[in-house]
Amino acid sequence: MKYQSLYLLAALLVGSVHTVYSADNLPEPQVLIDEMSAASRSLNYDGVFVYTLGKQIDTMRIIHKSGDGESYERLISLTGHAREVIRDKDQVRCYFPENKAVVVEKSRLGKLISTYLPQPIKSISDFYIFEIAGEDRIAGLNAWIINIRPIDKYRYGYQLWIDKESKLLLKSELKNQLGVTLEQIMFAQLHVLDDIDDALLEPSTAAEGFTWYKNSPNEPLDINDNDKQWKVTWMPAGFSMSEQSKEPMLTSRMPVEHLVYSDGLAMVSIYVEKLNQQPGIVVGASNFGGVNTYAVFAGGYQITAVGEVPKSTVKLMADSVKSYH
Amino acid sequence: MSEYNNEELSALIDDEYEGNSDKVFDELIHNQEMKETWSRYHLIGDCLRDQLPEKISSQISTSVSNTLRSEPTVLAPQKTKQFNLKPLAGFAIAASVAMAAVFSVQNSNDVNSVSSAPTVAANNTAPQSQTFSFPNTQVLPVSVRKSDTPEGVANQRLNNYLMNHNEYRSNGSMNGILPYVRLVTIESQE
Repeated sequence: MKYQSLYLLAALLVGSVHTVYSADNLPEPQVLIDEMSAASRSLNYDGVFVYTLGKQIDTMRIIHKSGDGESYERLISLTGHAREVIRDKDQVRCYFPENKAVVVEKSRLGKLISTYLPQPIKSISDFYIFEIAGEDRIAGLNAWIINIRPIDKYRYGYQLWIDKESKLLLKSELKNQLGVTLEQIMFAQLHVLDDIDDALLEPSTAAEGFTWYKNSPNEPLDINDNDKQWKVTWMPAGFSMSEQSKEPMLTSRMPVEHLVYSDGLAMVSIYVEKLNQQPGIVVGASNFGGVNTYAVFAGGYQITAVGEVPKSTVKLMADSVKSYH
Repeated sequence: MSEYNNEELSALIDDEYEGNSDKVFDELIHNQEMKETWSRYHLIGDCLRDQLPEKISSQISTSVSNTLRSEPTVLAPQKTKQFNLKPLAGFAIAASVAMAAVFSVQNSNDVNSVSSAPTVAANNTAPQSQTFSFPNTQVLPVSVRKSDTPEGVANQRLNNYLMNHNEYRSNGSMNGILPYVRLVTIESQE
């Protein structure tokens, strides 16, 4: 009698552990992505991952702590220069030991792109095809593979590996139209923790003798240049403007007009800067991993499009920028 | 429409093209008109060499590319050329911001015209903190002098755009860390 119930218990346990997924109970890809997004913000974790860009391979450690509705993040390069990035809700500090420099930027942590978009993430499915592509094992954890394929040539595709248990992102690939991987992140080890010691969020360098730079003006930069308004007149279907601001920049005499366009996944920034008296006007395309840029010069203004989209998209968008009064 | 004339395409097919063929192929991928010319030339060549199959489908290339597109997990042959593009020369200093600033401080020792460069903060116990105000400081000219070329300035400007874009990007629904990963891996070229 006693043994029978034990058997029953064992059978139940085994049954629940080895759930066989059929087409009917595969997770919904977009739900999984939402869960991943939430998990990456709300969990405490400490992991090591490999970043691949072309032939370059680097390893990094990421420590993420959540508490009081706030997030703290520290990214440490384990190869090459011992650079670190420490982020909280107010600021991002980038440590460059090779330059003995710390650069402080305004943080946008917690400001979700989706909250700026007129239409929430739903509309993404009109321009990308989401599907569960299978299962895999990354960093010793079982993962779902999600394929995100663009429906046209103006965007890139993604392949994501999501931990079945914690829902954290374990691997991610950015792919061009031919399916060639442009850049890749893959965790080698990832621990989800109950708590993270605050000491782990401190920089490893004492930053002694380092110089601190803040990229924020201490006086209003309102230079009488508000007469011109800028607008992108061509963009791939599904893109819309999510933000518009003026950004102070170190190399610029006046704030740079910044327009942000997104289809919910891909994002393109348009920068418009008046440059009639300055040297170094360079137009054309350049590229860093999955990021393409394209600059044009017209009427004393340099217009630069920057985004994780194909070269043709940044070019078409930069070419289409018009001013109006 | 196309920058490449038909003669160049023909040379490419005959393996006699002397320029940068990757550029032509990149264009070929995106230019429908050029693609059609390309297949026509192949057809002509095959015909001349008497290598035509019995049946020809003009849609073959479309169906092949459609099949490829629907199978993203298939490992396409690595298009290594993609990565021979130099990473933005100056992205090196992703924190071009840092560089511009570092240069300005270094130069302030020996260049008189930049005596207005940022000075050490009064509070010695705290890290030195400097805030730039754009219209007044000499940061720009100094970095111009130091980076020597207008291209250097242009690269720094582009770097700033990239950093700024990254900060926005890092709050997307995915790849929250990727933008910073890029920042951390940039090779220092100075």
